[in-house]
Amino acid sequence: MLTLENIKYSKNSNDIIKGISMKFEEGKVYGIVGNNGVGKSTIGYIIMGLSDYRVNEGEIFLNERNITDMPITDRAKNGISLLWQEPARFEGMSVKNYLMLNKKIKLKEVEKALDLVNLEPDKYLNRLVDKKLSGGERKKVEIASCVLLNPKFLIMDEPDSGIDIMSLDMIVKIIDYLKERGTGVIVITHRKEIAIKSEYSYLICAGKVFLEGKSDKIVKYYEKTCDTCGHINYAEEN
Amino acid sequence: MDIVKGYEEEFNQLVDIYEKNTEDKSLRNPAVATIIVSGNKVVGLNSVKGMHINSKVRGDGLVIIDVDIEDNTVIPIPVHLCTGFLKKQGEQILKFNYMIGNNVKVKFKSHCILTKVEKLHHYMESDMYIGKNSHVVYEDEHFHDERGGVFVETITKMKIDENGYFASKFYETKTRVGRINVVMDIELKDNAKANLESKIYGREDDIIDIKEILRLNGENSSGIATSTVFATDSTKAHVINEAYGNAPYSRGHIECNEIVKGEGVSVSTIPVLKVNNEKAELTHEASVGRIKQDQLETLMSKGLTEDEAAEFIVNGLLS
Repeated sequence: MLTLENIKYSKNSNDIIKGISMKFEEGKVYGIVGNNGVGKSTIGYIIMGLSDYRVNEGEIFLNERNITDMPITDRAKNGISLLWQEPARFEGMSVKNYLMLNKKIKLKEVEKALDLVNLEPDKYLNRLVDKKLSGGERKKVEIASCVLLNPKFLIMDEPDSGIDIMSLDMIVKIIDYLKERGTGVIVITHRKEIAIKSEYSYLICAGKVFLEGKSDKIVKYYEKTCDTCGHINYAEEN
Repeated sequence: MDIVKGYEEEFNQLVDIYEKNTEDKSLRNPAVATIIVSGNKVVGLNSVKGMHINSKVRGDGLVIIDVDIEDNTVIPIPVHLCTGFLKKQGEQILKFNYMIGNNVKVKFKSHCILTKVEKLHHYMESDMYIGKNSHVVYEDEHFHDERGGVFVETITKMKIDENGYFASKFYETKTRVGRINVVMDIELKDNAKANLESKIYGREDDIIDIKEILRLNGENSSGIATSTVFATDSTKAHVINEAYGNAPYSRGHIECNEIVKGEGVSVSTIPVLKVNNEKAELTHEASVGRIKQDQLETLMSKGLTEDEAAEFIVNGLLS
């Protein structure tokens, strides 16, 4: 169980997250939905423990262990991982080496992970994870990397961004695959096709959980109400 | 292989060090063109068809080596240039003159083996002419003593004739630099192309100076000069990249990336772009600073420590 209790986070005197509480279980899929700028990605970065996203108040627990002050590396070693919305590029690093950062990972597993994200291993293993990969290819490599880590909890920040619409099925397939393996998947999205795959969703507005519950209801409410709402970037402005 | 009489031991020592550092056994292969210099003398020479090598040593110790390659020659195996210094201190001055004919294809692999010296000034000046339609690749890798007493100066002047192509890779990443001054000054004629890449890893109090100049004098000529320096501890690094667009449709791009890690580091970069023809186009990119946080945190979110992540990123950059 991964638990966030009354998390508050501010930056440059702006209150971005204003007291959020959430619970995630392994083997289940969760949605974090909301308009642009409401703080969805920030929640993901806070869970991962990125250096600029240390909380001002509140606590994070992983299986009852307080990890609020735990460094990012240790969080990863304890089973939390992040699929970045825009993954970084690395000059001179091959896809193969990138996917085998953990020396326990075998080449056959790497090839299987590439197959899962619709990248042919023969064509991609020796490509570099640099500017020459398209945005979509880079994102797919990152998804393969997250699959190989076999985390307890994976935060997927806009998993479909930068990926062609034909690959939405692949994303859905990956979410199912991770769930079957027991990973708790936390999907940050505003795409209905992705959000609807989750069992339970949190609707974020202005840095707060505005609504939570079964995903079909939350997604319906979001589509009906939030699309026309003027609260875009509300969290950062206030 | 023509090993000069009386220098067999020096030849063997240099070859042994090279093989230990690279696991490459080419230097003893009779099918490989080779020039091996130890100190101020040539200790081994081997040529191949279409290639002529002459060497002489001037009274003041200057070693002059002339390399001529005939028109229409394709040398399938890289030519090895190995310069070493086996005494504890001294000076090594070398002058290479390359005359590469038309329609030639050749690759040079140069290695400087300076791993056993306490104090050395290694000066190498090269003049290279690349004939029309020729394709030349030059890879230069250095292995220096870890105490930092090596001062390397390598000055290259080059003319690339019409449709010629030149690519160079200068790497000093595996051992301590000491002090290094690299200058490459390249003139390109019509449709000629050049691609220069240098990568240097500075440690302790190393001093690094790089100057790369592209003179795009020919119509449709193009060049790229990229320098990457990883400066740690109290390394000082100064990089100047210059490109001159002097002809119509000439295109040049210069790029410098200096990554720093250490409180005593001092690095700088100066790009110089000068267009003397309205149809020329020049661009540059530069970055100086620590490793990007998003790169570090991407790897840390996969379980690497900050130091492991930094090492991984730098190894990629310098590979």
